Amino acid sequence: MRSNTVAVGLGVLGIIFVIVAILYAIGGVLPTFTSSGVAGPHYKHAILFAVLAVASFVAANFARPKIA
Amino acid sequence: MNLAQALFMGLLQGASELFPVSSLGHAVLVPSLLHWRFKQSDPSFVPFLVLLHLGTATALLILYRAQWVEITRGFFTAAIRGQMRNDSERLAMLLLVGTLPAAALGVFLESRIKSLFASPYEAAGLLVLNGLLMLSFEVLRRRRERGTSREEQESHFASAERISFRAAAIVGACQALAFLPGISRSGITIGGGLVAGLRHEEAARFSFLLATPVILGAGVVEVPQLFSSGVPVGEYVAGAVLSGIAAYASARFLLRYFRSGRLDPYGWYCIAAGLSGLALLHFSL
Repeated sequence: MRSNTVAVGLGVLGIIFVIVAILYAIGGVLPTFTSSGVAGPHYKHAILFAVLAVASFVAANFARPKIA
Repeated sequence: MNLAQALFMGLLQGASELFPVSSLGHAVLVPSLLHWRFKQSDPSFVPFLVLLHLGTATALLILYRAQWVEITRGFFTAAIRGQMRNDSERLAMLLLVGTLPAAALGVFLESRIKSLFASPYEAAGLLVLNGLLMLSFEVLRRRRERGTSREEQESHFASAERISFRAAAIVGACQALAFLPGISRSGITIGGGLVAGLRHEEAARFSFLLATPVILGAGVVEVPQLFSSGVPVGEYVAGAVLSGIAAYASARFLLRYFRSGRLDPYGWYCIAAGLSGLALLHFSL
């Protein structure tokens, strides 16, 4: 499934994941959906979203139409 | 936990981690059956188990060292190029797709998962469920088998690099179930690989490769807690080394076993072990 639209969408998703990772690393902004609540930095969540961002950018690169 | 207990736990974890019998289930159940005084609900227990898992991950890295070099190289090459041109590049992307569901579920369900480590009853019950799952995977697989001899049957199925991305994601999501003590990570991923059309030996290889990033990731986030909690780190590390040695021997054995063997014996073992554990716990023997 190669198209510029999909590639841009995945790129935007990657940027969102980067922002979420930064917010989790700073802490006190986003909920963790665990018993620990929102206070303090959450590095596990930050690492997860950083990995998801990398995966999104890789997927965006795969989805980008290639010039033969 | 004293040195003998740490070494026993290391041997138990390393020997059972790669067999489809749930090392976590055994790690929760066996100390309770032996009436050991340490509590699985103790905050240092999960980091200790993760440290033992790091021994297993190290053994897998050593066993597949050449493949991991190729996979790492293939990942960066394919990611930058935006295309997969060989099996190593495809396998690297399959492992990425397979790892993400377990990582996400592990992070967001962490506290709920940890609460299950306190219950040997649930571990025993889930061990029975794990056994039923192993038997079900083999039943599903046999419906697709043709030919007569075991070698002929296996030749109709694919290698790990040929699995679809959708199947890799499903196998990866199944891997998250193994956070439950009693559900075997290797069992559920080998079973998922079989249903996705892999040969037994290739399903085991894909399972072992898939295990390494998740275990290493869990180690990075959990083990620092162990070093800051005032526990006997030297004894725990000795347990982890023994776990690695046992895991290496287990992996070598299993790769040979799955050339012709199936999951059924482990399924029956899990059912028997789970039911025996429930009975022993119920009657406080």
